[in-house]
Amino acid sequence: MNPNRLPVRPGEVIDRETSLAFTWNGRPHTGHRGDTIASALAADGVDVFARSMKYKRRRGIMTADHWDPNLFVQVGDEPNVRAGSRRLVAGMEVSAQNVWPNLRFDIGAANQLVGRFLSSGFYYKTFMRPKWLWHHLYQKVLRKFAPGGRIHWETSTHGAYDKRYAHPDVLVAGGGPAGMGAAIAAAEAGASVMLVEHEPDLGGHLRWGDADDLAVLADLAAAVESHPGIEVLVDSTVTGRYDHNWIAVMQRSHEIAPERLIKARAGSLVVAPGLIERPYVFAGNDTPGVMLSGAVRRLINLWAVRPGTRAVVLSANPEGDAAIADLEAAGVEIVAALDARAGEDIVEVEGRGRVGNVVLGDGRTVSADLVVIGTGWTAPTSLLNMAGDRPVYDPTAARYFPNQLPDDVLATGGITGNGTTAELVEHGRATGTLAANRALRNRHDRRSSTARARSPEGPIPESLHDTRASLARTPHPECYRSSSHGMVDFSEDVSSKDLVQASREGFDSIELMKRYTTVTMGPSQGKLETVNAAAVLAETRSMDMVDIGTTVWRPPFAPISLGALAGRIFEPIRRSALQDWHEDHGASPLLAGQWVRPDHYGDPVAEARNVRENVGIIDVTPLGKLDLRGPDVTKLLELVYVNRWQKLDVGRVRYGTMVAEDGVVSDDGVTGRLGEDHYLMTTTSSGAGAIWEMLEDYLQTYRPDWNVHVTAVTGGLTSINVAGPRCRELLLRLVEGVDLSPDAFPYFHVRRGTVAGVPDCIIWRIGFTGELSYEVHVPSGHALHVWESLLANGEDLGIMPFGVESQRILRLEKGHYIVGQDTDGLTKAPSAGLGGLVKLDKPDTLGLPELRAAYARTDLPILVAIQTDDPEVVPMEADQIVDGDSNRILGRITSSRMSPTLGRSVCLGQVDPSLAAAGSKVTILLIDGRRILGTVQEHHAHVDPEGVRQNA
Amino acid sequence: MARHGYKYSAGKLIRHGLTRGDWPRMWRRPEARSSYDVVIIGGGLHGLATAYYLAHNHGMTNIAVVDKGYLGGGGSGRNTAIVRSNYLTPEGVAFYDRSLDLYNSMAQDLNLNVMFSRRGHLTLAHTDSALRTMHWRAEVNKLQGIDSSVIDPQEVKKQAPSLDVSADTRYPILGALFHPPGGIVRHDAVVWGYARAADHLGVHMLQETEVLDILCEGGEGPDGKGAGGRVTGVRTSRGDISAPAVVNCTAGWASLISNMAGVPLPITTHPLQAAVTEPCKVFLPTVVVSGSLHVYVSQTDRGELVFGASVDPVGTYRVNGTLEFTEELAGHVLELMPGISKMRLLRQWSGLCDMTPDYSPVMGTTQVDGYFVDVGWGTYGFKAGPVAGETMAETIATGRDADLIAPFTISRFTEGDLVGEKGAAAVGH
Ligand SMILES: Cc1cc2nc3c(=O)[nH]c(=O)nc-3n(C[C@H](O)[C@H](O)[C@H](O)COP(=O)(O)OP(=O)(O)OC[C@H]3O[C@@H](n4cnc5c(N)ncnc54)[C@H](O)[C@@H]3O)c2cc1C
Repeated sequence: MNPNRLPVRPGEVIDRETSLAFTWNGRPHTGHRGDTIASALAADGVDVFARSMKYKRRRGIMTADHWDPNLFVQVGDEPNVRAGSRRLVAGMEVSAQNVWPNLRFDIGAANQLVGRFLSSGFYYKTFMRPKWLWHHLYQKVLRKFAPGGRIHWETSTHGAYDKRYAHPDVLVAGGGPAGMGAAIAAAEAGASVMLVEHEPDLGGHLRWGDADDLAVLADLAAAVESHPGIEVLVDSTVTGRYDHNWIAVMQRSHEIAPERLIKARAGSLVVAPGLIERPYVFAGNDTPGVMLSGAVRRLINLWAVRPGTRAVVLSANPEGDAAIADLEAAGVEIVAALDARAGEDIVEVEGRGRVGNVVLGDGRTVSADLVVIGTGWTAPTSLLNMAGDRPVYDPTAARYFPNQLPDDVLATGGITGNGTTAELVEHGRATGTLAANRALRNRHDRRSSTARARSPEGPIPESLHDTRASLARTPHPECYRSSSHGMVDFSEDVSSKDLVQASREGFDSIELMKRYTTVTMGPSQGKLETVNAAAVLAETRSMDMVDIGTTVWRPPFAPISLGALAGRIFEPIRRSALQDWHEDHGASPLLAGQWVRPDHYGDPVAEARNVRENVGIIDVTPLGKLDLRGPDVTKLLELVYVNRWQKLDVGRVRYGTMVAEDGVVSDDGVTGRLGEDHYLMTTTSSGAGAIWEMLEDYLQTYRPDWNVHVTAVTGGLTSINVAGPRCRELLLRLVEGVDLSPDAFPYFHVRRGTVAGVPDCIIWRIGFTGELSYEVHVPSGHALHVWESLLANGEDLGIMPFGVESQRILRLEKGHYIVGQDTDGLTKAPSAGLGGLVKLDKPDTLGLPELRAAYARTDLPILVAIQTDDPEVVPMEADQIVDGDSNRILGRITSSRMSPTLGRSVCLGQVDPSLAAAGSKVTILLIDGRRILGTVQEHHAHVDPEGVRQNA
Repeated sequence: MARHGYKYSAGKLIRHGLTRGDWPRMWRRPEARSSYDVVIIGGGLHGLATAYYLAHNHGMTNIAVVDKGYLGGGGSGRNTAIVRSNYLTPEGVAFYDRSLDLYNSMAQDLNLNVMFSRRGHLTLAHTDSALRTMHWRAEVNKLQGIDSSVIDPQEVKKQAPSLDVSADTRYPILGALFHPPGGIVRHDAVVWGYARAADHLGVHMLQETEVLDILCEGGEGPDGKGAGGRVTGVRTSRGDISAPAVVNCTAGWASLISNMAGVPLPITTHPLQAAVTEPCKVFLPTVVVSGSLHVYVSQTDRGELVFGASVDPVGTYRVNGTLEFTEELAGHVLELMPGISKMRLLRQWSGLCDMTPDYSPVMGTTQVDGYFVDVGWGTYGFKAGPVAGETMAETIATGRDADLIAPFTISRFTEGDLVGEKGAAAVGH
């Protein structure tokens, strides 16, 4: 088995006692616990893991970590799994993705032959004629080349994830020597610390180091883990830094959720992500067997995998040199050790499934199966970018460095400079102390400056200055490209030649180049590619790297699953206190905005008839209800409603309409005056939240001097409308303390009283259905009792509950419009037939200027009642009213139903003013293409226009 | 098209492949002249299209397009590239339909493949009131000759199989407005296509040149700015340029620039955020929009899902983006397509949108002679770019507001004549 597995290595992380079986492209393999998918396969002798995006070139291990662009695989239903970092689990079904028909033989590899024609942006320059071919063929072929794994949309983990909030004083991103040093020092200074490490183990680059490194690692890790002030999260990634140090951490190994998003408000953020090794550009640099020095060291030291047998090594730094030692220890023959510092170079690698020949800078060609590259580093400054920093290039050290950081973000470790392990730890410690000090000082200041805080106890943390000694910037040669051209972006198949061409075509700033060639747009988002791309651009334009800049790194630092971002499903549906009753009694549910409501209980027409003939009750709880108190409520009402509110006596109810600033009708409802300084306002169900926010907005920003308290009571009060000619008779049996006689309690008045023994109910007389009706607002805890009492006491009166559908029929018969249905985003107040209601002479009302203009116009559509000449035809809501046989639009049907009361179809509609007069004939275009005639009615109300019934 | 341009074709691609010869520059980096006939501020889609149509349709070539950054660095390079014409008002439909026409022939007109993918556009209805609105739009569209209809959940499933159309979801899909001609375009290519074609006609693109002031005389405000005055040029970070006509095409920065001419605009700038996932094999054939859930999604030819939402509620010029945006976005997208829970979000970004009170642009002449605006494009300016350029060019060349833009002139704010596309434009993109 495992032909490439080495004897035990001192720092290995595999558990050789275990044997995990899995499959790769259907074939069985085994690995150990601690293996990554890639290390297990490499141990088994697998060289080729993927095919590249455009040219379908064979690809193998390059970085052997999370960022490896060549190790994207499909695992079961999960696409784009990073085989370089995903730990092996028994039973995994792993397969190569984006290959056809298979990994060994991929038809698309033919693209390599024509590669010279497929230069960057080639698709912009062709496939234009004939036009139809683009739509029917070219585009489909292009789409087939989309890279990535497959989505299995039949399976889902949506809702299985979780979230957590945290408030550490100091959050450290990166658990290498500097990060661990920072965490320890910060905790020692009294801060609560969260230490986040991307890998499953702490240690950073020490993990694949020598015996000394391992010893230091063990000590540091022990100190970190034993300190009670430090919470350690491994296999977790800091994915974003947002305003005010709002930090996103994605925790992957968690017992109960596949992933957990931790949202942390950190006092200080310490950024210690180390360095990412950068590839080198030369011909054939993407051939399987070309690996970075870190990759071979990880393979050998962590997973005891021999990466090859005969190696050529190109090194420009001590880490590259260390790889030579590791290779030798692993029994790999060093064919050539090239020193880039001395100008030695690699020009080309030949070989298809694996490195074969290597052409060296001195012209020699040697045969090898492994090429190891150690030519420099990229500072992963993403989190610093997100904090507003624009890192600056230092040509001496051949990499970018942080520039200007806000006080609450500090950087340490390799991202800021070079040093021995001890120096890195020391810099980390100094950074941790400073971070803790700043966080604690801020916390102290914040506590003592809040209005009601007592002075916090204890000494005031002193403010430390940043006296950290900087880490050195060790000189490093600028190794970006050999004399040949090669891949810059491995996931996008973009070569240095493509970049040169793009620059010459005018895409000569890094942002334009990125957009044209797609360099850095792939899954690693530039972590491997950005610096090489900038170097090629600088070379082409003969500019200094310093002046090129880099593209802006945007969140997230590493891609995050949508399921984890979404977390648990919190999309509640609101239910009134009576909804259970409704469902138990056969109500068919209707989802209406946030609410579920009874649409009807079996026969909406019978329910409607019963309201006209006897009495019915409907649950109208979703109606928005706002309790308004204070001496200035009238002023508020005057501001938000188009009509007048000055002379509303206690005990009265008034209907009001709101318009938005553009004069368009936005909401309506009744408001009753319960006491001198106490009102109950109702809004449409869908408008409830928005109106509440709007009132608060005006009260808090525009008129903070007004004394008004707004409390949302929509769910707290259950609203029951009791309607029908016999409803007074019913209520007489149940209501105490209120004189229900027509003279004592007329239409549009409000009273408070006891209903079915429940005190303090609000009762008002209004009439959406057009019948005599009382609306009772009951404290929700007693709603079921009141509802059932009404039903029990009304049995002999023929009582029936009715649902939303019958209410819609009844209100349409009565000609009441619904905001948002009979009006729309264009309907200004005069169009809604609000005529005299609107008071244009008020000093201030929302939308007043637009309303004044609207009232001066004569061309606005008008809402009218329409009856079809054929009483049997019920047009569809939204059918258009047209000009005779032409297609000119003159209006539309906004509501329509068969009226049980009249036995004919009834409608509301918006029409051109030329058609608004009673008796006008309108042509309605039905959805099936027929055109029928209708007649505009005198009143909106089809039934009882005089209001005899509701005023009874 | 281009008078002395270098034409792209399959043949050229082969020739360059064989000879490995360099392609010519798409546009030059010219030295600025001291005066132009027209200075256009803003090198986004709108500025470049206006320049191109001025040169191509009206023979005016002594034009500079000035941008403080690189071409397409504003909203034009950040949008989600949805185009459609199924608007609600006749004015809206006529305008956007002309734009769709121009997109349709753009590859040929500009000799650059802008990858217009007419893949169809679905606006989902989750409530019966939304369904009613979809019916309304469909009926209006049909009468105006726009291909647009309401389809049922089964048909929705056929168009986009990854959607969960079962009835027991929190936001059941009751139907959708289906608009087959809608789709997506490669937004950068549109910018480059206009830039290249304009360059060939002699237009100067001055990148990395910031306009610091608009020079005016005779106006009622300070420094001769404001109503009654006229424009004489611009002050830039690289010196003054004189010009009798100055056009504001600066989208997110439009109100700041307009103040420089003493013409205040009823515009507030809000960020609009977007995000993209890692690529997966193509599985989503159409554009899907859900107004109730404030999301829309499409899959690029590269396999990435592109997501967008509604504008951020708070006005600001910061484009940092928020974590909450991605959380809400993911939650809502998964309500629609639970099966993509393991796809990963790759990148989020944000751009600036110039919002007007009535979700419609401000275009045409202003109270300052020679100062033109083409702004207020909010979240829908990409699809309108071509027609805006065409009509602005006509307006500038003739000095009179083109017919198609009559509903959008600045005077509507003082004459009580706002346009009503809130319903169809808010999240619709
Ligand atoms: C995330 C997002 C998604 C979107 N999705 C869609 C969509 O799907 N469909 C759609 O139709 N629309 C969409 N839009 C809207 C659309 O992108 C914009 O309306 C459109 O790009 C505006 O183009 P423009 O040319 O007017 O402005 P921009 O492209 O923004 O160009 C303005 C230019 O002005 C320059 N500028 C600013 N100030 C100065 C100065 N002082 N001097 C010189 N230059 C200056 C800027 O650098 C910038 O390049 C979206 C927008 C965003 C942000």
